[in-house]
Amino acid sequence: MSEPAGILGFMTLAAEGGHGAASSGGPAWFAAVPLLPLAASILCGLTIAFRVKTKLPAVITVAALAVSFGVTVAGFLSWSNAGHATQIADIYEWIGVSWGSDAGQTLSAKFGFYMDGLSWLWMLFVTGLATLIALYASEYMGHDVGKGYGRFFAAFALFVFSMACLVMGDNLILLYLGWEGVGLCSYLLIGYFFQKPSAVAAAKKAFIVNRIGDLGLAVGIFLTFVTFGTVEYGPLFEMVRQGVDAAGRPLSGQWQEWVIPCLLMIGAFGKSAQFPLYVWLPDAMEGPTPVSALIHAATMVTAGVYLIARTMPLFLLDDSHFALTIVAWTGTITALLAATIGMAQFDIKRIMAYSTVSQLGYMFAGLGVLTSVGAAFHVFTHAFFKALLFLACGAVMHGFAGQLDLRRLSGVQKMPGWRIVGLTMLVGCLNLAGFPLITSGYFSKDMILAQAFTTPGEVIAGSRWIGWILLFTAGLTAYYTFRVYFRVFVGPQHFEPGEELHAADHDHHGGHDDHGGHARDAAHGHDGAHDFHPHPPGWAINSVLVILAACSFLAIPTYFMMTEHHGWVGSMVHSSTAFVESPGSHHVEGAHAERLGTFLGMDPHKVMYYVSGLVGFIGIGIAWFLHLSGRTGAATSRADALLPMLGPVPRWAQNKWYVDEFYEAVIRLPLWVLASLFHWFDKLVIDGLVDLCGLLPRWFARAIRPSQSGVLQGYAVGMAGGLAVILVIVLIVMGANV
Amino acid sequence: MSTLLSLFPLVAMALPLLGAVLIAFRPPGRAHRIAFGVSLSVLLLTFGMMQRFDWDHGATYQFANSFAVLPEMGVHLSYGVDAVAMWLVILTAVLQPICVKASKTAVTENHRAFYAWLTALQAPMLGVFFARDLVFFYTCFEFTLVPMYVLISLFGSTNRKKAATKFFLYTFTGSIIALAGLVYVAFTATKNGTVAWTFDIDTLASAARGMTLSEQSWVLLALMCGFAVKVPLFPVHTWLPLAHTEAPTAGSVVLAGVLLKLGTYAIYRFVLPFVPAAVVEYAGVIATICVIGILYGGLICWVQRDVKKLVAYSSVAHLGFCMLGMFALNMVGGVGSVLYMINHGLSTGALFLCIGMIYERYHTRSMQEMEGLAKAMPVWGFFMVFFTMASVGLPGLNGFVSEFMCLLGAFQSGAIGIGRGGTLGTLGPWYAVIAGSGMIVAAIYLLYMVGKVVFGPLREPGDHGHGHGHEAHAEPNALPRDLTAREIGVLAPLALGCIVLGVVPTPFIKTLEPSVAAAISHAQVAAKGALSGQPGVHEIAEARP
Repeated sequence: MSEPAGILGFMTLAAEGGHGAASSGGPAWFAAVPLLPLAASILCGLTIAFRVKTKLPAVITVAALAVSFGVTVAGFLSWSNAGHATQIADIYEWIGVSWGSDAGQTLSAKFGFYMDGLSWLWMLFVTGLATLIALYASEYMGHDVGKGYGRFFAAFALFVFSMACLVMGDNLILLYLGWEGVGLCSYLLIGYFFQKPSAVAAAKKAFIVNRIGDLGLAVGIFLTFVTFGTVEYGPLFEMVRQGVDAAGRPLSGQWQEWVIPCLLMIGAFGKSAQFPLYVWLPDAMEGPTPVSALIHAATMVTAGVYLIARTMPLFLLDDSHFALTIVAWTGTITALLAATIGMAQFDIKRIMAYSTVSQLGYMFAGLGVLTSVGAAFHVFTHAFFKALLFLACGAVMHGFAGQLDLRRLSGVQKMPGWRIVGLTMLVGCLNLAGFPLITSGYFSKDMILAQAFTTPGEVIAGSRWIGWILLFTAGLTAYYTFRVYFRVFVGPQHFEPGEELHAADHDHHGGHDDHGGHARDAAHGHDGAHDFHPHPPGWAINSVLVILAACSFLAIPTYFMMTEHHGWVGSMVHSSTAFVESPGSHHVEGAHAERLGTFLGMDPHKVMYYVSGLVGFIGIGIAWFLHLSGRTGAATSRADALLPMLGPVPRWAQNKWYVDEFYEAVIRLPLWVLASLFHWFDKLVIDGLVDLCGLLPRWFARAIRPSQSGVLQGYAVGMAGGLAVILVIVLIVMGANV
Repeated sequence: MSTLLSLFPLVAMALPLLGAVLIAFRPPGRAHRIAFGVSLSVLLLTFGMMQRFDWDHGATYQFANSFAVLPEMGVHLSYGVDAVAMWLVILTAVLQPICVKASKTAVTENHRAFYAWLTALQAPMLGVFFARDLVFFYTCFEFTLVPMYVLISLFGSTNRKKAATKFFLYTFTGSIIALAGLVYVAFTATKNGTVAWTFDIDTLASAARGMTLSEQSWVLLALMCGFAVKVPLFPVHTWLPLAHTEAPTAGSVVLAGVLLKLGTYAIYRFVLPFVPAAVVEYAGVIATICVIGILYGGLICWVQRDVKKLVAYSSVAHLGFCMLGMFALNMVGGVGSVLYMINHGLSTGALFLCIGMIYERYHTRSMQEMEGLAKAMPVWGFFMVFFTMASVGLPGLNGFVSEFMCLLGAFQSGAIGIGRGGTLGTLGPWYAVIAGSGMIVAAIYLLYMVGKVVFGPLREPGDHGHGHGHEAHAEPNALPRDLTAREIGVLAPLALGCIVLGVVPTPFIKTLEPSVAAAISHAQVAAKGALSGQPGVHEIAEARP
C-alpha cells in the first residue's frame, strides 16, 4: 500500500513546482498542461532505459497527469474569473517563414495556446479522464511491470501531450501536430502487444486510414492559408467574421467557402471514425482496454468533433450549409450503420467500439443540424459513460483471462467481488441507452434529437429525417447495450476463461523468455474452467469505476445550470468559436414564437423527453425479453429463435456489412496490383532500357570488330572507301553552293 | 572576410585527402582510428565555420577566396559558402564520423582501402558545396564517383560489381550532358569567343539569363539530364536501388545523405539562377515528374522484399517532394526543399544505419526471413520506429517541417487568384494534393516495413552466414543481439538532430531565407513576366511593388 503514499508525495512535490510556475505570472503557465505529460513521457522512457522493474512509470504518469489536471482546473477558474475572454499565450515560434512584409506573406505557426470555452471544456475532461484511466491502468497493466509497463505509460503520457497540443493549439498547424501525434500514440498503443499479428495489423490500419483523413486536413490547412494568409485562429476567425479573405475581397460566392469546410471535414471523419473511414476503430480494440477507454472512446476520437466545432465559423460561411449537411448525414448514417453492426457482435469490447462509432455519429449529426452545444454536451457525457463502460468491460476481460464473448459469461455481477463492476456497468449502460431523467446520456442525446426536429429542412436538407433515423437508432442502442448487460452481468452464473486469447498470447510470448503474469494466466487457461478462479478487480480499478459512475451522474446538473445557454457546457461553447445560433433556440426572445420549430405541435425538447425515453424503454424491454427472461445458460437465449426469421441479415451485420472486404477488393488489392506492376515495369522496362543503352557500345564494338583484322589490304580498302565518301560529300556541298 | 578565415574551406578539403594518404601508409589496425580522427577534426572545423558564419547575411558568400589555376583559360580555384551550402557542409561533416564509427565491425578486411577511400570521398563532397567556379565544381562533382565506385565494388554485397559499374556509368553519362550545357553557357559568356573565358559561377549565371528562351530551355534540358540522374528523379532512378542495396552501410549512408544532395544542390545552384525563364516555362513538367516519382517510387517500396531496397526506393519518393518544393519557386517551397535535403540525410541515413546493423547480425536483408525483431533487439526497435516516424513525416520530428513546406509551397505557387497567401509560380493546388497522397503511400510502405521487421512474432533469420561463402568465416566481431554502446552512439546524434530540426526549425529557416530568396528571385521575376497576362497577377503586382 505504499503506492498511494508515493503518488500523493509526488503530487505534492509536483504541485509545488506547478505553483511556482504559476506565480511567475502570465497565461504562459498554461504550457504546464501539455508539458507535464511530455515530461512524464520522457521520464517513463528513462525508466525503460534504466530497466526499472517497479510501478514507477505509473506513479510518474498518474502524478504528472493529476498535476496537469490541477493546472487545467486552475486555468479554467482564472479564465472564468477573467470573464470568459479568450486567452492567447505564445511560447515560441515553431515554424516561421516570410517572403515579404505584406499580409499573407508570412507563414507562422507558433507553439502557443488559444484558450476559450471549447479548449477548456475539452482539456478538463481529457486531463481528468486521463488521470483516472492512468490510475486504472496502473493495476490493469500490472502483469507487464518491468516489461512493457514503461513503454505503455510513455506512450500514454505522450498521448495526453499530443491531445493537449491538438486542443489548446492556437493555430491549425499545431492542431495538425497534435492530430498526428495522437495518431502515433494510438498506433503505438494499439500495437502494444507487438508480437501479436492482429494487433500489429490493427495498428497499421488505424494509422493508414487516419492518414487518409489527415491528407484532407492538410490540404484544408493549405487552402485556408492561401485564402486567409494565416493559420492562426485569432486573425483567421476575425476575417471569417467579416467575411473577407486576406486581400480584403468578400468570400461570399467563392468556391473556397465550401471547399475548405469539406476538406477539414474529411480530416474529422478519419479521426472520429465516421463512414466511410470508420473501419479502423473496431480493430483498434486490439490495444489494452485502458487505451480503448481513453483514446478510442473518450478523447482522441472526439478530436474530429473538436475540429469542426473549432472551425465552425468556416463551416457557417457557406449559406447553403453544404458541408454541414454532409456532416449531418454522414453522422446519421454512421450512427445507424454502427448500431446495426453492434447488435450482431458477440465480443463485448467490439460492441462498445461500434457503440462509440455510433455515438460519434450522433455528435456529428448534432454539429450538422447546428447544435454545437448538443454535440459538445454529448462528447462530454459520452466521455464519462463510455470510458466507464470500457473500463468495466476491461475489468471483466482482466478477471476472466481475456474472455469477452457474451455467450461464455453470465451473471458476473453476483459473483464475489464483482458487485462494483456490475453496478457501475449498469450505470454506464443506462447512460448509453438514454434511460430517462436519471442519466446524463439521456439529456445530451435529447438535445441533438430535438434540434434535428427543430432545424428547418431548408437549412439542413432532410433534417427531420435525420431526427427520425437517430430516434430509431436510439432504440437500437438501448437494445444492444442491454443485450450486453443482461447476458454478461445478470442471469444465471456461468463463465469460461478466455482460453483462446491467452493461448495465442502464450504462443507469441512464450518460447523465448517467458514471464510471470502471462504464464500464470495461461496455465489457468490450460487447466480449463474447473481450476480457474476469476480474480476480481482491486482498489484502483474499483475506485476509478465508482468515480466515473459518479461523474456521469454529476454531468446531469450541469445541464440545468445556466439555462440561458443550455447548461454549463452550453455556456462554455457560447464563449468559443464553436458557438452557433441554433435555429429555433430558446433564448432568442421575441423571435421565439416564430423561430422556434415545433414537433407534433409542441416544443421539440419536451416531446423528445417523452419520445426518446419511450424508445429507450422499448429497446431495454426487448433486450430483457430476448436476453434475460427465461434464460437458463450463457450460450443461448430467446434471441436465437428469432435469428432464422431474419435470414442472412444478422450474419451480414456480424460481418460488418462486408465493408472491410469491400475496401480490400476495391482499394487495397488494386493498389497492390498497381504497385507490383510498377515494380516489374521498373525492373523490366525502365531498367531494361538502361541496360540496353549500356549494351549498345558493346554491340557496336562487336559489330565492327571483324574489320580490325590486321590485314593491310583491308585497311587500304577502308581508307579508299572513306576518302570516296568524303569526296562525295564535298562535291555535293560544293554543288549545292554553286 | 580576412584571409585567415578563407583558409577554412581549403583546410576542410585538404584534411580528408591528407588523412586518406596517411591511412594508406599506416598499419591497417590504425585505419579506423585515423579515419575517425580526421572526420572529427573536419567536424570541429566546420563547427568553427558555423561559429564564424555571419548568419544575418546568409546570401553572401563567406570564407571566400580565389586562386588562379589556369588564368589564360579563366579557371580559378574560387570558393565560398552561403547559408544553404553551409548547412549542407555541416550535414556532410556530421555524417562522416558516424559513417566511420558505423563501419567499425562491418568492415572485416582490407581496412586501409576502405577507410582511405571513405575519408578521401569527403573532400570532393565538401568541394561541391564550396565551389564558386564551374570547373572546380565539376571536378569535385565527378570526383565523388571514384571513391564511391571503389567502396561499392570492393566492399559491397554479392552483386557489387554490376552495381558499381552501373552507378558510375549512369551518373557519369548524365554529368557529361550537363557539362555540355554548362560549357554552352560558358561559351555564351565569352560573347561567342570575343571575351576571355571565365568560369565564375555568378558571371555565368548572369550571362545565361541573357539567353533566349529557346537557348535556356535546351540548357535546362542538358542540366536536368545530368543532375536529375543524381537526385534521382523518376525515369532515371534505376541505378539508385541497385547501388544502395549493394553498397556497404557507410556507402549507403553517404550516398543517401550527401551524394543525392549533390544533384539537388546542383539544380538549386545552377538551374534556378541560370535559366529562370525556362524554369518557369517547364516547372510544371518537372513537378509532374516529381509527383509521378513520389507515387511510383512509394508504391514500388510497398512490394519490396529486400528491406534495404525498400528504403532505397523511398529516396526516389522523398526526393520527389524535395524537388517539388524547389520548383514551386517560392520561399516556402524553396526553404522546405533545402530543409528536406538535410532532413532526408538524417532520417534516411539513419534508416540505412539501422538496416546495416541488422545485416551485420543476420547477413540478410530479406523481409521474409526476419520478423518481430523488436523482441530480440528492443533498443534497435526503438530507433527503427523513431526514424521511420521521422521519415513518414510525423509532426514534431524533422521530416514533417520540410514535407509540409514543400507541399504548401507547391500549393501556393501560382495560387495567386485564390487569396493573398498565394505566390507567383506555375504549379498549384493539384500538384500538392496529388503529391500529398504520397503521404498516405509513405505511411503504407514504411509501416508495412516496420510491421514486418520490427513487430510481429519474433523470427530471427537462421544461421545464414554459411550460405554466403565469403561472409561465413568473417565473424571476428561477435556482436550482441541488441545494439552496442557504439551503435547507440552512432544513432543517437541523428535522432537528436531529427528532434531539434522538428521542434525548433525556425532558427534554421531564418538562416536559409536570404539565401533562398536570392536563388528564387530571378525565377520570380521571370514568372511575373510570363504570367503577366493572367488574371490576378496584375493585382498582386500592383499590391507588391
